[in-house]
Amino acid sequence: MRSSTRECAPRVSEKRRAPLGVYLATAWLGLCLAAALFGDFLPLPAWNDYDYDFQSSPAFTEGHLLGTDPDGADILSGLVHGARVSLGISFTAVLAGGVIGGLLGVLAAYRRGWVDGVITTYFNVSLSIPTIVLTLVMVAVLATPAVDGSSSGIPRELVLIISLTLVIVPVLGLLARGSALSWAGRDFVMVAESIGMKKRAILWTHIVPNVLPTMMSIGFLAAGIVIVIEGGLAILGAGATPGASWGSMLAKNQSNFTIGPYPTLVPAAVIALTVMALNYFADYFRTKIDDRESRL
Amino acid sequence: MKALAALTIVARAVTVLLLSTFMITVLVRLLPGDPVDTLMPFATDEGRNQLREELGLNLNVVEYYFRWLGEFVRGDFGQWYASTGDGGGVPISQMLALALPRSLLLMLYTMVFSLAFALPLGIFLGYRADSRVDRVISNATFALSSIPSFALGLSLVFVFGLKLNLLPVLGYVSFAESPSEHFKSMILPVVSLSIGLIAGFSRLLRVDTIATLREDFVTMASSKGLSDAWILWRHVLRPSSTTLMTSAALQMGGLIGGAVVIEIIFALNGFGMLLNTAIATRQYLAIQSLVALIAVAFIVFNLIVNVLYAIVDPRVRTASV
Repeated sequence: MRSSTRECAPRVSEKRRAPLGVYLATAWLGLCLAAALFGDFLPLPAWNDYDYDFQSSPAFTEGHLLGTDPDGADILSGLVHGARVSLGISFTAVLAGGVIGGLLGVLAAYRRGWVDGVITTYFNVSLSIPTIVLTLVMVAVLATPAVDGSSSGIPRELVLIISLTLVIVPVLGLLARGSALSWAGRDFVMVAESIGMKKRAILWTHIVPNVLPTMMSIGFLAAGIVIVIEGGLAILGAGATPGASWGSMLAKNQSNFTIGPYPTLVPAAVIALTVMALNYFADYFRTKIDDRESRL
Repeated sequence: MKALAALTIVARAVTVLLLSTFMITVLVRLLPGDPVDTLMPFATDEGRNQLREELGLNLNVVEYYFRWLGEFVRGDFGQWYASTGDGGGVPISQMLALALPRSLLLMLYTMVFSLAFALPLGIFLGYRADSRVDRVISNATFALSSIPSFALGLSLVFVFGLKLNLLPVLGYVSFAESPSEHFKSMILPVVSLSIGLIAGFSRLLRVDTIATLREDFVTMASSKGLSDAWILWRHVLRPSSTTLMTSAALQMGGLIGGAVVIEIIFALNGFGMLLNTAIATRQYLAIQSLVALIAVAFIVFNLIVNVLYAIVDPRVRTASV
């Protein structure tokens, strides 16, 4: 069988694949980040400013480059503002979840014994409920106003960040634990132990620096997942303020989908492109790490 | 030794199950507002107290949890309260009887459809690793898998429902009512959920196939003069599919309830939609029982994988666990 004799075929293909996709991904994410950071300086109407003379106008209408939704809100302005909210929520949740989950995971791998048991059980318990369901319950607990109108007083976007952080902690934590465990068995760690290096010192000088790149690569994936969950929550009516994020733009216009699908499809496409770009990044990062690790 | 290992796995699963249901209990009790106000807004004080007792709100969290657990394991999932004011409710099991089959069928079709495409694709890509075909298809599936299922679902509705007018875009038709309409109503939701899975599954299978093709028994089989197709299907597929199976089982657990967004977009009124309504309308018992069922499904699928491992891959069967 001829292919059985081939040497390490997949690595070559992944190396060759990286560049174009990564350039496009960088360009797209850069554009989104620029929109998120400097969107206020663009000559656009406000995202929640309803222009009643231009409702459901098509793209390239004067004053509304990408047209408007049925409320008369400018779609381009919504996308620019949505970049700030969606990316802000996603990156904050993943960063916070990565730090908390990473510390817990490395701690579990380092201490072993009952500490490991408790932390791993906590991760497994959280993971036994689908992320979207768990986030939905979290958002309900933290945010939804009661019947008498009293709400918890936490801003909507912060509620989403907290809920999504709690949901992403076990995902990243379990990965950090697995990665830390695999590094702990490597030769150079055993050498460090045998020359009498303290366990804590080994942890910070040998294990954490090696776990970090893996965490960053998975972090890009997680950021994409969080954007998707945020979009799903919006469709379920538990997302950001209507029209504020990409997901809630999509959800807000979804009721008019059969009449005018355009204002729904545009944010959907933007979400898809962003997730794709983040996945390309994660993939590229992973091949880089694999190359580095095989040289170690 | 084997029995002990099996017992440990089961004990661990039960622990996770108890803890995850308890976590949900705590979260449900933390929901803001008085559920009695939502469930019976116009009831008398007497009626309110009665409902409070019925729901167990006068108990503390631990007592409340064990009372619910006792009823749950006996198959009593509680009542779904109507907010009409008289406190009358519908048994949750009755609502499940309507919603659950839809979600289970959605899950089943999605799995069958995804695997039907992913198995040949993954094996083929592994066999032709690094060829031009492999590069093109791998890239395409990678890009496709990045599209969220709801974005895909909406696009499919746009193309096949609105532009081409080929398929229904909303609602569910049961198989008994009309088999052809039933499948028509399921095509778009199933495809929306499957594309990502096909991409993920075929990727996993491709990598494992490449690894298996380097094994001695493959060289042996090909030196016996067996055809490539025979070797791939008879000797390579089984040992290469363990990672794929784990992933598939986890996805199956996740699809019950996890497909809620797709259920909403296509108005399938399945399990996920029931759960979403329960959360939005503060149906305490319903939230607990439904989430518990999801967790049970997830953990049971996990256990099944561990058993299937041994059956599918002879190498695991003989190795001491």
